[in-house]
Amino acid sequence: MRILGGGVTDVGRVRSNNEDCFRLVQPLNLFVLSDGMGGEAHGEIASALAVETVVKHCMEAETNPAAPLYGNPPADLSKHAKRLVSAVHLANRNIFKSAEEHPEQGGMGATLAAMWIDGNVLSVAHVGDSRAYLLRNGMLQQLTSDHSLVAEQVRRGIISANEAEQSDMQSVLLRALGTQPQVEVDSEEQELFQRDVLLLCSDGLTRMVTDPEIAGTLQAETDPQKASERLIAIANENGGADNISVIVVRLENESKGWFSWLRPGGRKHAGTNGSAGGH
Amino acid sequence: MPKLSLMFEGKTVKEVPLGNRPITIGRSPDNDIPVDNLAVSNHHARIYYEGARLVVEDLDSLNGTFVNDLRVERATLHDGDSIHVGKHYIKVDASHDAPVPYDMGRKAAAPAINETMVLDTKVRRDMLQQAAAMGERTQFASGRIKVPTIVVLSGSTASKEYVLTNKLTTIGKSSMATVRLTGWFKPQMAAQISQRDDGYYIGPGDKTPTVNGTPIPGPFRLNDGDLIEVCSVRMNFIFRD
Repeated sequence: MRILGGGVTDVGRVRSNNEDCFRLVQPLNLFVLSDGMGGEAHGEIASALAVETVVKHCMEAETNPAAPLYGNPPADLSKHAKRLVSAVHLANRNIFKSAEEHPEQGGMGATLAAMWIDGNVLSVAHVGDSRAYLLRNGMLQQLTSDHSLVAEQVRRGIISANEAEQSDMQSVLLRALGTQPQVEVDSEEQELFQRDVLLLCSDGLTRMVTDPEIAGTLQAETDPQKASERLIAIANENGGADNISVIVVRLENESKGWFSWLRPGGRKHAGTNGSAGGH
Repeated sequence: MPKLSLMFEGKTVKEVPLGNRPITIGRSPDNDIPVDNLAVSNHHARIYYEGARLVVEDLDSLNGTFVNDLRVERATLHDGDSIHVGKHYIKVDASHDAPVPYDMGRKAAAPAINETMVLDTKVRRDMLQQAAAMGERTQFASGRIKVPTIVVLSGSTASKEYVLTNKLTTIGKSSMATVRLTGWFKPQMAAQISQRDDGYYIGPGDKTPTVNGTPIPGPFRLNDGDLIEVCSVRMNFIFRD
C-alpha cells in the first residue's frame, strides 16, 4: 500500500496565536498532532514539546529498538503501538517537568493524537480531545474517545450527543498531557485496507465542521494536502472559533500488476506528494 | 431548599430543612429527627450531602432502613423517595435542589468556557461522582455494567461469541478481524461496528449487512437483541450483564 499524507494548521478567525502543532514523519508513516493550552504562549510550548518528544522517541526506537519503554504499555500491543504509548507517556513527563522548572508555565498542558502505520496495521494513541478518524466505505468512524467532561457524560447516559454539542462545557478536559506527573494513555490497533482515509484533527475542526461535512470533503478531495486545506477553509467559514489542525492520510493501491489501472482509484493520484512540514 | 418531612399515619409530624450538616434519625432525643418508637434504634440512620448527591446511611440499626420499601445500608436519595424507619416515613423533597454543578453544561446560565481547561483530580472526582449519581438510576435499571457482545447464531465463524472491546470492530475473513468469518469467498472486511459515545453503530464494509432484515447502507445504531446478518452469518447483538 502507498501511504500519502498532508497536513495544515491554522490560527482560525478568533484567536491571535496558534497553540496547535503537528508533524508528518513520512519515512516512518508517523503522524502526530497536538493542541496546547495555558496562558501567554505556554500552550504553544506544550504542544510543540509534545509533538517533538513523540517524534523523537519513535525515531530513536527505529535505530535502537531496545530503548526503554515508558509507562508500561499493555503487553498485547504490537511493537509500534507500545513505542507510541511510551512516547506519549514521555511527552507527559517532559511537559510536566518543564512546567515545574519554569513556574510561569504552570498550568500548561496539551492534547495529543498520534497514528503510526506499519504495513497494514495502524496504531493509534491519544490523550485529550484531539481525534483520530477513519473513513472507510463512506462511513466516518472516530477511533478515539474524547477525554472530556461532556463525552464522559454522554457515555454515562447523562446527556445526549446533541446536548453535548450544545454544551458550554466542551472545553473541560478530564485528561491532558503535562498537568499531572502521570497520565493514562488510550491506545488501539486497527487493520487498514486499501482506500482507507485517516484523519487526525484538533477540536477546532470537530466543533466547527460536522461529521457528514468531514466525510464528504474527504471523499470529494482525494489529494490529502488539498483535503486538509479544504477542511480548514470550511472550519473558518463556519466561524473558526479555535485553532484548527488537520492531518489527512490516504492508503492507495500499489500501482503494480497489469490490470491495476482498472481498479477504482488505481491510477488517479499517481503523482501526488502530500508531504508537509509541521507548524 | 430541600427538606425532609417525617410522616406518621399520613400526617406530617415534623419538617427539617436539608443543609450542609448531616441529619440524624433515631429514638434518642438528641437526633435531628427523633422518632419515638421501639422499632427504631437510638441512632438509626443519617442523611447527608456527598457532593451534590443526597445519601442515606443506616447506622447498623436493628430493624433496618428502607428506601421505597427496599432495605438499604447506604443509598442515594432522589426527590420523592420515601424512607421507612419503624412505622414512620420520611419523605424526601429535593425538588428545589439547585446547586448541582454537573447540570451547568445543560443550561445557558453558566458562562461559556472558551479556554480549554483540565479538571484537577479532586474537582474531576467530585463532578464524575455527581454525574454517576445522576446516572445511577438508569444504570441500576439496566442491570449495572453492560458488555456489548456478538453471539453467532448460524454460519461459519472462528468463534461463537465476541465481546466488543474496541472502538472499531470488523467482521470479515481478515486475520485481524474481530468477528472472523471462515470459508471460501468471504470478504476480508464484510461489515464494521464502531463504538461511539452514545452506542454501537453498524455499517457496511465490502458487503451491506442487514439488521432485523433491513439492509444497512450507512451507520445504524444497534439495540439490545438486534439480529445482524452478513455473508450468510446470523448474529445477535446483545448487552450482557
